[in-house]
Amino acid sequence: MHGVLRLALFQTRRDRVTLPVWILSITLLGFATSSAVVTQFGDEPSQAAILTLAASNPAFLFLRGLPDGTGVGAVVFFQGYAFTAVLAGLMSTFLVVRHTRTDEELGRAELLGSVPLPRAASLAATLLLGAAANLLLAVFVAAGFVAAGLELPGAAGAGAAVGAVGVFFVGLAAVIAQVLPSGRSANGAAAGLVGAAYLLRGVGDALGTPAADLLHVSSAWPSVLSPIGWGQRVRPFTGSDLSALLVLLAAALVLATAAVLIRQRRDVGASILPQRDGRERAGAGGTSFVGLAWRLQRSTLAGWSVGAAVLGAVAGALGPLVSETISSVAPLRDLISRLMPGGQTGLIDVFVTALLGVAGVFAAAAGIQAVLRMRAEEIEGRAELLLAAPLSRGRWLGANLFVAALSAVVVSGTAGVSAAIGLGLSGTANGPAGSVVPAALAHVPAAFVFLAAASVVFAFAPRLSVLLGWGMLAAGLVLGEFGELFGLPVWLQDVSPFRHSSAMPVEPFDPAGALGLAVIAAALAALATYVIQRRDLTA
Amino acid sequence: MNAATQPVIETLGLVKDFGRTRALDGLNLSVAAGEIHGFLGPNGAGKSTTLRVLLGLIRPTAGTARVFGLDPWADPVATHRDIAYVPGDVSLWPNLSGGEVIDLLTGLRGGADGNLRRELIEEFEFEPRKKARTYSKGNRQKVALIAAFARPARLYLLDEPSAGLDPVMDAVFRRHIERVSRGGATVLLSSHILSEVEQLCDRITIIRSGAAVETGTLSELRHLKRTHFRVTGLAEPARLAALPGMHGISIDGAAAEFDADAADLGAVLAGIAESGISGLSVAPPSLESLFLRHYSDGNGRKVL
Repeated sequence: MHGVLRLALFQTRRDRVTLPVWILSITLLGFATSSAVVTQFGDEPSQAAILTLAASNPAFLFLRGLPDGTGVGAVVFFQGYAFTAVLAGLMSTFLVVRHTRTDEELGRAELLGSVPLPRAASLAATLLLGAAANLLLAVFVAAGFVAAGLELPGAAGAGAAVGAVGVFFVGLAAVIAQVLPSGRSANGAAAGLVGAAYLLRGVGDALGTPAADLLHVSSAWPSVLSPIGWGQRVRPFTGSDLSALLVLLAAALVLATAAVLIRQRRDVGASILPQRDGRERAGAGGTSFVGLAWRLQRSTLAGWSVGAAVLGAVAGALGPLVSETISSVAPLRDLISRLMPGGQTGLIDVFVTALLGVAGVFAAAAGIQAVLRMRAEEIEGRAELLLAAPLSRGRWLGANLFVAALSAVVVSGTAGVSAAIGLGLSGTANGPAGSVVPAALAHVPAAFVFLAAASVVFAFAPRLSVLLGWGMLAAGLVLGEFGELFGLPVWLQDVSPFRHSSAMPVEPFDPAGALGLAVIAAALAALATYVIQRRDLTA
Repeated sequence: MNAATQPVIETLGLVKDFGRTRALDGLNLSVAAGEIHGFLGPNGAGKSTTLRVLLGLIRPTAGTARVFGLDPWADPVATHRDIAYVPGDVSLWPNLSGGEVIDLLTGLRGGADGNLRRELIEEFEFEPRKKARTYSKGNRQKVALIAAFARPARLYLLDEPSAGLDPVMDAVFRRHIERVSRGGATVLLSSHILSEVEQLCDRITIIRSGAAVETGTLSELRHLKRTHFRVTGLAEPARLAALPGMHGISIDGAAAEFDADAADLGAVLAGIAESGISGLSVAPPSLESLFLRHYSDGNGRKVL
């Protein structure tokens, strides 16, 4: 046990920057959400208004979660829990994979494997660190809520719900790290499962049954399949049923035990799914910068596209279904016909628009990932090999920007096509189903701005490119999605490129906005191409 | 200067600073067409930095670098057209197979010679279907070497290329160096092992703390060579001091250690043979011990 603690302390030291950044960011998001709710929805009538609006809007339910009655705490939990839980899940899976599979892949685990400790000692230390990090996260999130003026018992319950979701994903990621051969694939699979948990909860909540007062919604069965859905069952500010957390912790324990048992029985570096051999010769496209960029991006792109396809399918297939569910509740039907001139059709449009917007964020993320891969190539010394060829750096950057832009188009397009198919299959007489594809592609210019901006950072300040590349997307997301909730000034919200995308099909297409974004993206890309030729390669 | 006598590589007063650290401090290096030039220095002396400047990957703080008469920073594409490069620390794409990486690297330079590629893979006993993440250091090195040799070039820049290769593979490597050299190519081979450079190179430049301290042919650098002796069972150890070309004698009872100049080896051997020795071990001179002897501050780096 002493040895495991030593290893855990060593891993903590390696994470001394990463983990505090994660924990503080998640805490800050929780704090900002709750103080925004306190200032904007301080009194009961305004709380009731927002809850009623949400209960009548499946897109809201899908993205945020279940309304659970009035009261500042309940509104905060409804607004902020799902996002916070996703972040806790990602923090936990990245943490576990970083110290397990990635260490094995890079040969560091071998060095530690020579010390007189059991084979699974390092994994046990990682599990310990994961549990401790989530305990700390629970305490911080609760403290953030209390600081924003929520009562302590509810805040503690909410923190515990977030922490318990994190602990569940620690266990799950530990198993995945035993199954998959590389850190990259393990991270991808684990993050994909976090996304799936959010999605299942979203589907369950969007299909949920509103209560007669429209202040509560209870989820449908898909939510039971989701650890994030289980955390939501705690209802810390109203019911406070902590038994849901026991389910999560028990599941985490089972998963962690399984991971330890597998680790005890396998070779170092081995995995349940083995590393397959590759091809002996590169394909026709494998001998150019574009071919390489595509080769390195394609599995990442496949991941984002699957996510976008699921979102599109949910939008297309579920939209009509939820609008029927809602219309069967008389008071809701009345409310909707007052709020939306289009009635049921308008409701489907809102749902589709919201989900295509999320697919637009996926598109930007896929593009940013392609651009930031250049930085990984530079740090790990592969750029040196590439740029010793008689081809200019501008061409290298251009090839990667091309693949990044292509990725954004593919992700958005996939969401649109899958939504169109969904709408077609569910037989919605909502105009031509094909109009959904342009609606999805309307988010591409904003994605271009993000990936071009990331390339400028890479060219100017390579060491900051990962931080700023993702930071800009996070900022754009907060400004665009939460800007109104936080009551930020309009000019600041307008900094986010997402604000200038046409929210089709609810809004009409805005050619000027799209053109403006495209011009900005092109200018940024040109700037990056110019600058990249004029700096040293820096590790 | 006409094209025939123009050096393939020429640097004058090359300086490169990284923040407050001076990596290159007025380096002069000249490599003539067709020669195999050893670029020798301890770890951290500035060898890799020099190669990166020659490739135009980093810009010199001061001084000039010319490769084929071109400025590699201003015109990297034209400079690279006839260069094959093997970096010191080969990092590959973990999810690509070795064969795919070889095709990529040669493809970017215009395509490999199919027969050469096949021969090299066979001679290096390389397994091209495995994913790069499963390769050892030696196998990653082989990928870069095969890619460099699978296509003709006029200049080969090799940064400690045989580190990680076993003796059999090292022999394959040497054979290909000699092959391209016979074909008229120029080779710049960096290393920190003197014996490695000795066997292959026509001329040698020794770099320390970012500046060239010695340059010339092997015989011109003869004075740097000293052989390390350890003898036991000496009847009269004190007589050693009287022999010519002796340095750093340390005597412990009937045992002694010392270094002897190459020029005086015959006299030294005859001298110790007369002393009735019972044991003898001789070690070739290591570059590190040479540096310790010649430059007592080792590889001390100037801080700006």
